[in-house]
Amino acid sequence: MKNRYLVGGPITPLLISELMTLGNDDNGAGAVSIFIGKVRDDEVNGNRIKALDYSAYSEMAEKEADGIVKTVKAAFSDVRKVLLVHSTGMVKAGEASLFIMVTSGHRDHATRACRHTLEMVKERLPVWKKEIF
Amino acid sequence: MATQVKVLYFGAAQQVAGKASEDFTAEDTASLCEQILERYPAMSRVTFRLALNRNLLKEESLLKENDIIAILPPFEGG
Repeated sequence: MKNRYLVGGPITPLLISELMTLGNDDNGAGAVSIFIGKVRDDEVNGNRIKALDYSAYSEMAEKEADGIVKTVKAAFSDVRKVLLVHSTGMVKAGEASLFIMVTSGHRDHATRACRHTLEMVKERLPVWKKEIF
Repeated sequence: MATQVKVLYFGAAQQVAGKASEDFTAEDTASLCEQILERYPAMSRVTFRLALNRNLLKEESLLKENDIIAILPPFEGG
């Protein structure tokens, strides 16, 4: 299965720009809500995190991500597009590892559906992280 | 009847097993989990759920030849 929702390495500003262009070809969408998740340089037992090494059960993650997008579209009638991308592999502190973009006719469904997508990613996407110091 | 199935390990479970996958012979998920815990006693410290052929299991299930069982510790995406 082709990976549509997983990308190797960080979600770069260039990729974010491309995703926003991809999701913005719809003049009926009056609202665009975006969430970008970044790696924090937390301190754990006196050591600062330099990066997170993400792993995924790719085949299941693609299926679950597809399900999340369909669920969000079904739950929020005003939503027009849901884009969802998660990193696998090494992502340094300060870099982005998750991108969610929801477009809708009006602001209410865009913001609520974006948050809902994020919560479902946390709950349903089979992704794990290993801290690199 | 016991059949051969493939087990995939992820996250903390992969660190305990020291490998990404291996084959087991089991009749159902309960007997499979018993075998996994017997082979890797440290797995008892890992909280995990099971997926059968990419679908999260909510209860024990019988296994068929070539089923793929994934050991899924709590997800950490985002």
